[in-house]
Amino acid sequence: MFQKEAQSELRARTGIITVGLLSLCTVVALTLAVFNMQISGNLAAGLLWSAILFASVPALPRTFLAEEELGTGDLLRQWARPHSVYWGKVLYNAVQGVVTGVVLSALFLGFIGMHVAIPWLFALSLFGGCVALAGTVTLCGALVARASNRAALAGAVSVPLLLPLIAIGVSSMRVSLGSGFYTQGVMATIGLYGYAIFTLAIAPWVFASVWKN
Amino acid sequence: MQSSPWQLRHGSLRAYGRISVKLMLRMGMALAMALVTVWSFLVPDALHFQHPELARIFFWHFPCPMLASTLLVFGGWYSYKELKTRDRKWDVYAESANELGFLFCLLTMATGIMFSQVQWGTWWQNDPRQTSFLLVLLIYGAYFAIRAAHSDGDRRASVAAAYALAALGPALFLIFIFPRLPQIEAASFHPTQSIMKGQIKGNYAVVVSLVLILVSALSAWLFTLRVRAGLLELENQKNGLETHRSDPTPSGVVRPISVSSEN
Repeated sequence: MFQKEAQSELRARTGIITVGLLSLCTVVALTLAVFNMQISGNLAAGLLWSAILFASVPALPRTFLAEEELGTGDLLRQWARPHSVYWGKVLYNAVQGVVTGVVLSALFLGFIGMHVAIPWLFALSLFGGCVALAGTVTLCGALVARASNRAALAGAVSVPLLLPLIAIGVSSMRVSLGSGFYTQGVMATIGLYGYAIFTLAIAPWVFASVWKN
Repeated sequence: MQSSPWQLRHGSLRAYGRISVKLMLRMGMALAMALVTVWSFLVPDALHFQHPELARIFFWHFPCPMLASTLLVFGGWYSYKELKTRDRKWDVYAESANELGFLFCLLTMATGIMFSQVQWGTWWQNDPRQTSFLLVLLIYGAYFAIRAAHSDGDRRASVAAAYALAALGPALFLIFIFPRLPQIEAASFHPTQSIMKGQIKGNYAVVVSLVLILVSALSAWLFTLRVRAGLLELENQKNGLETHRSDPTPSGVVRPISVSSEN
């Protein structure tokens, strides 16, 4: 499944181009907004998470929406086990999400000249957040894949589920950018991984129960 | 076989008895609600509020999030049963629980906003509790958006159940965990332990408990009514008598007719 997703993406490149353009536009817009300002870790963490969310949410559900648009969804239903389909797509989305997160963070922090106070906490926070985000958005994409107005609906139903994740992600990242207490940052990062584990534990079961319906 | 006049009379008396018991129960509940409402204006003020006389909205605010959270859990449980059994009956239960939960969420927001204006001087305080409940409201909204977007009944039931189950964790996190995180709790104006710290005691506590019991009973009754209406609607759909209200394609046939071969 992962190989199929990667090959499809490399053939069309729609997802990569969408994510790339959205990431770049977001970073440029944010950099212009805070031009010549010394921003705190709190604000930088919030802005970075908004940028990651804005870049990922329209692109990640495409893995399922594209199957229905191209008419290959039914073939996949006959050919593959639901758990394999979900894990393959989540893995692909997680890789895409983490790469997007890394590129976006590098651009954002480089443009605004922000120093990362605790690099390992920043890396852990970014990785855990992007994986949890990929798990949730993939599930929402699967749920709305056969609905009317699916592209708009995928974002609308994903965001309420992602807001708790963003709340914990911002708490974790702000500490790594030099605001707040170290213990709070570590606790928030543990919470972030707890959220990721919860999502990835429940989502395959939920997905399997609706995929072949 | 014809029923005797005694049987008819006996049957109608039993039916009349059932109706009158139900009627008396409803009248009793309405009377109790009226009495408790009056009592809520008569009890002495609670301590430690900026405007204690206006803090009485707490009586009606307090049961709303409790019931919204309970109904959210019920909605999740019925959704689980729907996915497990594929019986559309559970979808009706889940939808009913979530509809009522959504209603109580709206009431929580409305009463909370009034409390915020009276006690903190602004309609929207950006308090973490207010914000977290707004997010729960969005989750409920997304559940109904998903339902509205699927026209096929079976698919709508299973997809909505899946979303309700997936959303249960984040919603419970937003209600119970997020407002109690140390840095969030420190920044919040919202009282978290009014009852445990003894600010609410005596007659005030009795009124709070009575309102909670009565509103819970009322919501249980509303839930039963909604489920009965939903099951009837489902039955009619199975018999081809009507389409679901969220089905965008109207049926060409209003009522099925039987055509006799003799004509």
